[in-house]
Amino acid sequence: MTDDKDVLRDVWFGRIPTCFTLCQDEITEREAEPYYLLLPRVSYLTLVTDKVKKHFQKVMRQEDISEIWFEYEGTPLKWHYPIGLLFDLLASSSALPWNITVHFKSFPEKDLLHCPSKDAIEAHFMSCMKEADALKHKSQVINEMQKKDHKQLWMGLQNDRFDQFWAINRKLMDYPAEENGFRYIPFRIYQTTTERPFIQKLFRPVAADGQLHTLGDLLKEVCPSAIDPEDGEKKNQVMIHGIEPMLETPLQWLSEHLSYPDNFLHISIIPQPTD
Amino acid sequence: MEEDEFIGEKTFQRYCAEFIKHSQQIGDSWEWRPSKDCSDGYMCKIHFQIKNGSVMSHLGASTHGQTCLPMEEAFELPLDDCEVIETAAASEVIKYEYHVLYSCSYQVPVLYFRASFLDGRPLTLKDIWEGVHECYKTRLLQGPWDTITQQEHPILGQPFFVLHPCKTNEFMTPVLKNSQKINKNVNYITSWLSIVGPVVGLNLPLSYAKATSQDERNVN
Repeated sequence: MTDDKDVLRDVWFGRIPTCFTLCQDEITEREAEPYYLLLPRVSYLTLVTDKVKKHFQKVMRQEDISEIWFEYEGTPLKWHYPIGLLFDLLASSSALPWNITVHFKSFPEKDLLHCPSKDAIEAHFMSCMKEADALKHKSQVINEMQKKDHKQLWMGLQNDRFDQFWAINRKLMDYPAEENGFRYIPFRIYQTTTERPFIQKLFRPVAADGQLHTLGDLLKEVCPSAIDPEDGEKKNQVMIHGIEPMLETPLQWLSEHLSYPDNFLHISIIPQPTD
Repeated sequence: MEEDEFIGEKTFQRYCAEFIKHSQQIGDSWEWRPSKDCSDGYMCKIHFQIKNGSVMSHLGASTHGQTCLPMEEAFELPLDDCEVIETAAASEVIKYEYHVLYSCSYQVPVLYFRASFLDGRPLTLKDIWEGVHECYKTRLLQGPWDTITQQEHPILGQPFFVLHPCKTNEFMTPVLKNSQKINKNVNYITSWLSIVGPVVGLNLPLSYAKATSQDERNVN
């Protein structure tokens, strides 16, 4: 019988088979072979693609190389979004492997944040964790941690060390015995059909009467268009980590078990595939 | 109760409305932009600044009054009055955009901004830093979460620079406590923006502060 803790491992070790191809516009000294890689769903593109960069830079001249950026079917990929979120939102209905195009010039300034170094990824990651704890615990838990604990969270993610990460992260998943859950649930809902990049609002995991709010309750409140009419056809998929959790699942449970390492539930609303 | 340090979203919007009302009265160009679904929105101001030859007009507190002029005024002034006209080629004009959004996570306002040349070329973080007054630089560099970083605008989805909001309460609490003591109504947005704005080149005319007490007198 699957333990709840096993879910944490399954989420952490999720992978997406990806094929990286150099953009045809890039100038190369010889032909660039595609590069295949299993990407961790819970990590970030610029954190796990050093080998991809090296592979393509081998066939290019130094002067033709500036900041690397990635694109899928014309859409620049936001490195600051977790990889699994990008895939679920943009490519989950297409056949594997995920085909990503690599660019070294014409950085799209209006669409993408710059990623000057690994420190920038760490700063972004820690900023998200801090925001999640502001929602869950009024920042009390994360602010009580020492700098070395923060470092351990980041190193755990960077080096794919589940135990190292969760030794600290479990403290962020605790809540006072007298409560039934966190103060507010850290979540973001993404849809490609809106200009707004995501929906994020204050939402409590427990109702006034003590009942646990469900995923369905959350959607009804903050994104009612995502809920399909009861008797109608299923129009949308509500996806987290490549799966569709039942709408009856308690949100508190989802937050504790299906959050990304940044402690946010990143939820994709995508059109139901028509195959 | 600690809740006083924070402001709810509706309160934020009310303070913004009051702020914008005064802005309209004095011809300062702040406006409210609702999001497409109109559930929320943000305050926005655009101003243009002319890069003074090779020396950037210093952002930050200016002892000689405003260093930036509304676009129309800059080109109407006689040459002697405007030291920068001789180098005012289009590429030297910088467009600054300031957005005030509400963070529901921290329950405080957040200042987003971006700058670009008229041809669309954005200023880099390095350019932005060069424009920050020395007196603010030290404070900003003290902590990773007290600094200016590039982030995605939560409503527009585009890259902007942001002053991290997590320490907002640290400097706003004394302001609010003091105003309670002297029994004076304070527009949270006005106070907050007068503190964070100058760091990134945004100055507020003094009349904003007087506006709040004016409203109070009119109400009474």
